[in-house]
Amino acid sequence: MIVGKLKPMQEIVDSISEFHKVLILGCGTCVTVCLTGGDKEAHVLSSDLANGGYFKENPPTFTVDTIERQCEWDLVKTYLHIPPDTDAVLSLACGAGVQTVADVLKTLPVIPALNTTFLGALDEPGIWREKCHGCGECVLAYTGGICPVSRCAKRLFNGPCGGSTGGKCEINQELDCAWHLIIERLKALGRLDDYDKIHPAKDWSVGRAGGPRSMERIAPIEMNV
Amino acid sequence: MSFFKVSNACNGCLACVQNCPANALKYVDEGNRRTLLHNMALCARCGNCWRICPQGAIEFQSLLGGAWDEVATMDLMRCTVCGEPLYTSDFQETLAERVDYNIEPLCALHRQNLSFMTWKRLAPGKGEAEGAQR
Repeated sequence: MIVGKLKPMQEIVDSISEFHKVLILGCGTCVTVCLTGGDKEAHVLSSDLANGGYFKENPPTFTVDTIERQCEWDLVKTYLHIPPDTDAVLSLACGAGVQTVADVLKTLPVIPALNTTFLGALDEPGIWREKCHGCGECVLAYTGGICPVSRCAKRLFNGPCGGSTGGKCEINQELDCAWHLIIERLKALGRLDDYDKIHPAKDWSVGRAGGPRSMERIAPIEMNV
Repeated sequence: MSFFKVSNACNGCLACVQNCPANALKYVDEGNRRTLLHNMALCARCGNCWRICPQGAIEFQSLLGGAWDEVATMDLMRCTVCGEPLYTSDFQETLAERVDYNIEPLCALHRQNLSFMTWKRLAPGKGEAEGAQR
């Protein structure tokens, strides 16, 4: 899922201080599940901003709403109702949601309250870790289901590097070396032969380096009932 | 209760069934009667049915807003002094069986306010035994 983190409060305050009536808009999907941008967090943020003494003069008034997904244009267009006199929207969605809402509203400023952080997985209750960069060319089939792009600091395709010691990465001793994990997993799978294969240089143009990407899904539908 | 609602505009074309990516919709034809079925546990609330319906019959707001289902009801035991809910009556019975006496329902605050003498009265055997050990 997409994981986001609340921005520092002062940054949020600075970004909305010029407005008078702000709609704090939660998003009902990824950021609800990672406990940073759902309805509950939207209400907490509203309460904090209204009562925290952050504004020197004329603090804005706040309303709160949450829609199921801020990242779908038609859903936002149909179901987002802006209260009268609202002069800004403070969105708790990921960057995709903020941009979609801004695109729908057009003349109303939409301000992010989160820093969209990574594509991650819930490893333990309350702990999300980065697992995917959306690089456009998945190699998990050859790396024992452990991603060297997102989990190796150097994004090595033929690791580990010389900095790996005791299964930990040289940039942070708390961080597992992805290639150590890959080798251990390949051993467990009985597929160490995969490790011996040299991976050619990755084509980064299918990732973010190739510019913004898009996808169209148009396929014949078969009856499955 | 179904959160998937369609208006009278539905003509049974099954576009929603065919395009549901979660297989949360199906239909049953019995004789001349067609019934549309929805499974909330499978539904991803993606809105594809709402987008695809040529009749505009899907009332997607019902799926977005939902409604509250009653899941369980239970009798509560409240603090006899301030009325704060403490636990269920079933829990109290279980507790009484375990410790072999009835504990008066009291919240943490009002339990603290009890004197040692009162504790001895509430739990005569246990209180004395603990006191003796100390």
